[in-house]
Amino acid sequence: MMRALYIAKTGMDSSQFRLDVVSNNLANVSTKGFKRGTAVFEDLYYQTLRQPGSQLPNGANLPTGLQVGTGSAPVATARIHTEGDLLPTGQSLDWAIVGDGFFRIQMPDGTTGYTRNGEFKRNSNGDIVNPQGLQLNPNVNIPANATDLSVSQSGVIQYKVPGNPAPQTAGNIQLTTFINPQGLQSIGDNLYLQTAASGDPQDGDPATDNRGLIRQGFLENSNVNVTEELVNMITAQRAFEMNSKAITTCDQMLQRLTQL
Amino acid sequence: MDRMLFLAMTGAKHVEWQQATTANNLANVNTNGFKADLVSFRALPVVGDGAPTRTYVVDNTIGHDMRQGSLQATGNESDFALGGPGFFAVQGANGQEAYTRDGGYVLDSTGMLRTRTGLPILGDGGPITVPLGTQVQLGSDGTVFSVPLSGADRTPQQVGRIKMVNPGERDTYKGEDGLFHLNAGGVAPADENMKMVTGMLEASNVNAVDALVQMISHGRHFDLNMKMIQTADQNDQRATQILAVNG
Repeated sequence: MMRALYIAKTGMDSSQFRLDVVSNNLANVSTKGFKRGTAVFEDLYYQTLRQPGSQLPNGANLPTGLQVGTGSAPVATARIHTEGDLLPTGQSLDWAIVGDGFFRIQMPDGTTGYTRNGEFKRNSNGDIVNPQGLQLNPNVNIPANATDLSVSQSGVIQYKVPGNPAPQTAGNIQLTTFINPQGLQSIGDNLYLQTAASGDPQDGDPATDNRGLIRQGFLENSNVNVTEELVNMITAQRAFEMNSKAITTCDQMLQRLTQL
Repeated sequence: MDRMLFLAMTGAKHVEWQQATTANNLANVNTNGFKADLVSFRALPVVGDGAPTRTYVVDNTIGHDMRQGSLQATGNESDFALGGPGFFAVQGANGQEAYTRDGGYVLDSTGMLRTRTGLPILGDGGPITVPLGTQVQLGSDGTVFSVPLSGADRTPQQVGRIKMVNPGERDTYKGEDGLFHLNAGGVAPADENMKMVTGMLEASNVNAVDALVQMISHGRHFDLNMKMIQTADQNDQRATQILAVNG
């Protein structure tokens, strides 16, 4: 059948994929610590039907060849790791990172997950956990009678106990940077895992080596720009329509052919 | 059989190929740095004994439309684009230098700059690698700096310069990998005067209006050829009717 039919199909697939990415961004417009994705496309293989420079019957060389592309395909979803807006919440266990670092989360299987979402809570043992109940890595425990929990910009967590004016130190928040944060694998729950593409984790204290400062009482909002996503949605939808128009045209051509 | 049938059939077949090229352009309206393919027909006269009455028509790819695609601000520091003619040098899948307009880099785990489609971006002397644990900054002349994130000395170090070339507009062709290559083969010299813009990407330069109109025009052209086939068929029918012996 016609090449153009299948080529237009790849175009529709690409536009559909772009719409999927846009929808996911829009769905996460208020997800704390979310980083928006963009779909990256490439053109597929070109078929050379006639080589440029091939001989013509009259002995001359053909000045141009004949090539037909085979469409487009999504090749990557790049995450844009720009800083989201800081929202003041006033909660002592809400932390935002101002810089490139990630919080480290102890996964149930013993590996380490990474997140930008600083919405932490205390569980019944006094451990600091993320919304899914997973502990920070290294784990920080805060006794039940603690008051005035404070986190310094360099990640030192302190509290006071009744009857003792001197602050007690519960532990340190450790942050991690990656040479290529776009290479991290998203696993949902605002968590990322290290991959071969992301490079090795560079662990360390906050406020060192671009890892960023901890701001207590703030959360980092999603960095999705709604206007941009809506514009992307319009272009993806129109591209989808244009490719479906191509399919309709091919169909009409085939219809003419079968009516002979 | 009348040769007219074959002329019309060839016409229809090649219009269909052009339709494929137009569909490919439309399929790549989302592809950054994509340049639309142009099509044309070539007349192929039949030379031989008898009157020279027949000219076949065949499809031809005469190149690509090198017009600038629109620059889109992405706000992403790792994106870059060209605001004028020229290309960025990348290493194709076969290890040879090839050219693209699709800017933007990602770092792989060794710190090598690659395009989003995974091809190493070439500098003056091969791929560019930044030391681990440093931050990348791009200059408008393509210079890649790495800024140390630790230690007392935070002076940006130059680690390379993205190779930008500016061969003549007619001196490149689009290869089967979708990258551009020199007609003459070999490698283009780096152009020291070229500038790039950072934080922007160049969108596909496919003009949707052109492509859709082209698509309709191809469709009608195809119809015309179908009509010719029908006419040839009717002529044949009439001829056989005349020759038929009607008892």
